[in-house]
Amino acid sequence: MSKKDKSTLLNGISRRKFIKYSSLAVGSGILASCTGAGTSSTGDEELGENPIKVGVMYSTTGSIAIVEKSLQDATFLALEQINTNTGPWEGNGEGINGRKIQKVVVNPNSDWDLYNQMSKRLIDEDKVVCVLGCYTSASRKSVLPVFEEKDSILYYPVYYEGNECSSNVFYTGAAPNQQITDSIPYCKENFGPKGFFVGSDYIYPKESNRIAKAELEKIGGKVVGDEYSPLGTTEFITIINKIKQAKPDFVLSNLVGDSIPAFYRQYKDAGLTSDKVPIMAYPTTEEEIQAMGSEYATGHYTSFNYFQTVETPENAAFVEQFKAKFGDNRVTNGVMEAAYIQTFFMAQAMQDVLKDGGELNTQTIREATRGQEFQAPQGLVKVDPDNYHAYLYSRIGKWKEDGQAEIVFATPAAVQPIAWSQTLYPGRVCTRPVPDTRSSPIKETGKDLQVKYLEKT
Amino acid sequence: MYAHLFSFFYLAQEAVAEETTQAFSLVALSNQLVNGIGIVGILLLTGLGLAITFGVMRIINLAHGEFIMLGAYVTFWMQSTFGMDLLLTIPFSFLITGAIGALVELTIIRRLYGRPLETLLATWGLSIVLQGVIKLIFTAQLKYVKSPPYISGNLTLLKDAQGSPAIAISYYRLFIIFVAIALLVLTGYLLNKTDLGRQVRAVTQNRDMARCLGVNTSLIDMLTFAYGCGLAGVAGTVISSLKSVSPPMGQDYLVDAWMTVVTGGVDKLIGVLAGAFLIGESSSGIAYLLNDPTARVIVLAAVIILIRYKPEGLFTIQKRG
Repeated sequence: MSKKDKSTLLNGISRRKFIKYSSLAVGSGILASCTGAGTSSTGDEELGENPIKVGVMYSTTGSIAIVEKSLQDATFLALEQINTNTGPWEGNGEGINGRKIQKVVVNPNSDWDLYNQMSKRLIDEDKVVCVLGCYTSASRKSVLPVFEEKDSILYYPVYYEGNECSSNVFYTGAAPNQQITDSIPYCKENFGPKGFFVGSDYIYPKESNRIAKAELEKIGGKVVGDEYSPLGTTEFITIINKIKQAKPDFVLSNLVGDSIPAFYRQYKDAGLTSDKVPIMAYPTTEEEIQAMGSEYATGHYTSFNYFQTVETPENAAFVEQFKAKFGDNRVTNGVMEAAYIQTFFMAQAMQDVLKDGGELNTQTIREATRGQEFQAPQGLVKVDPDNYHAYLYSRIGKWKEDGQAEIVFATPAAVQPIAWSQTLYPGRVCTRPVPDTRSSPIKETGKDLQVKYLEKT
Repeated sequence: MYAHLFSFFYLAQEAVAEETTQAFSLVALSNQLVNGIGIVGILLLTGLGLAITFGVMRIINLAHGEFIMLGAYVTFWMQSTFGMDLLLTIPFSFLITGAIGALVELTIIRRLYGRPLETLLATWGLSIVLQGVIKLIFTAQLKYVKSPPYISGNLTLLKDAQGSPAIAISYYRLFIIFVAIALLVLTGYLLNKTDLGRQVRAVTQNRDMARCLGVNTSLIDMLTFAYGCGLAGVAGTVISSLKSVSPPMGQDYLVDAWMTVVTGGVDKLIGVLAGAFLIGESSSGIAYLLNDPTARVIVLAAVIILIRYKPEGLFTIQKRG
């Protein structure tokens, strides 16, 4: 068809035709979101009488699916173990006090607005008692008003930028003081004082880098660069050139998702090596290393609570069970472990409520989750009863040629979480009364908070 | 008065100081522009397939990114099953994505010629389907593609005082631009110098007349579309080892490929090269002076303004009425 034909065709579309076509477009869009982003109450196993409904909200399609799918896998493994009396749940009987968990799975398609709608649906229509889900801070911020307004509970398994303390969220990933606080002094001592900060362009990397930069400057280091790239970008020529020009001692990366393998590959391709300018990263885990090829990551570092190489009997069992269920070529990582342990925090809390003859609702589950302890793959962890974050280990791993981490730094026990970055907000803590009155939890102590470790009881 | 003179002197001094740092960053800027060639290569490679499907056939193919993704997955699959080298997978990736393209043309596109809106919707749907199918087969996890070990390292054009490279470009980036230009030349040759190319142009210029003269128009359509898709597949293969391989990866290239094709104009293949050069270098330059997200916004805005005033693209010859 020639150009002329095309222009007459486009001009020749009447208003009615336009309405017809555009409604077709809208219709197929809705259809796509229904098929791609549907809900399903999986009933592949026999659930018995009176199952407990729990929402599982991770995107299995769209740009974040790469990460969230593995969180969903870890959650499914934990739920299966709880329902079948296996793994860490062995000895507790099938389900929770005889009641199995029925998972209500939704897929928000990596769309922040859909997270909001889907959480409303889970709470209002499916009447779940609580929800396990979300990955990015953008999605958490999107659902937070829903959980607060409807007073329901979200278990959120991701390391995040902190500076938040809701009585409707249990934050089982790392708070800033469990990931950033130890890694920055480590970088300065081992690599040098000049840091170059990169990240994806959204809430978490920017906030996380803001804290990290403040921590570096506090201990006498220097920020020689601070660059962001749009979420999902795989072109890093410019940022890498700026790194070369700034000549930092180390690069701190908060790039997420698809961007990670592309960045490490182009980094090495451009002639930057890990022995001269190592990358310290937070979101780069075993999964991303596997995807980029370990030769690109060897010698770089990640700061996380958990690595697949952590030596505990619980971890050996977790890795084995995970591979048995999802395939031998899969790896486990820190976010997956957090998704796994939070499911047990939830199950233990429910068990405590049901044992006391209570009824499962937001209030009872919230109070019962506070202070739960669990012998996790990373070691003994606990939900802080005051700020609803978790006591977690802080570790730094150096990537080896086999794609696994050599742990070069670890705290002796799980570190008490502090919700607010103490460098940016000195002395600010979050303390909730028992029972939770949902009043403002922020207290300014004005004191320099000491690092506290979880004591074994 | 003296104070003014003094401050003027001070300012002048500062300006001199600035100039020396400027001279220093001039090297860095030229390094950035040299490396911008790397972006140009990828834009050209991803835009070339679109220049065929859109430029020659006028098909608005929103699934173009997914054909790039398919090419990357063909390479991943051949590497993980047969342990093949990336370069050896290029012909297979061309043939397989081309074959899928032919199938798509036969089943979907063929029924929608002359109906751009339906084609747009259908190819958009197709992109969702292809992503879904790949996810079902290969899961949503990021995939690892091994890069050819013999294309590594950097070409140093200029060294700084300490002897470390000041202007350098990686061999793989050069390899990408080499492949892109080779494909461009090959495509130009096929279109302009062969019988098949003449038939393709005849069909696109006047379908009915071509048919009257004995050209098998439906076969030509299928071959042309398949060729465009095959080029996208090669693009996917070549960039897979530098970037990330995942089901939604194609979306990242779709917009860029469209920008390239629209800017350069579609009447002449050389327009794609010009478009790729213009967009690649300007986004690389702006990103260097400001930052990546801003550069993207500015370049996209510039392309929108360009389409408003020169909808046929920058590098088109006067079209006949």
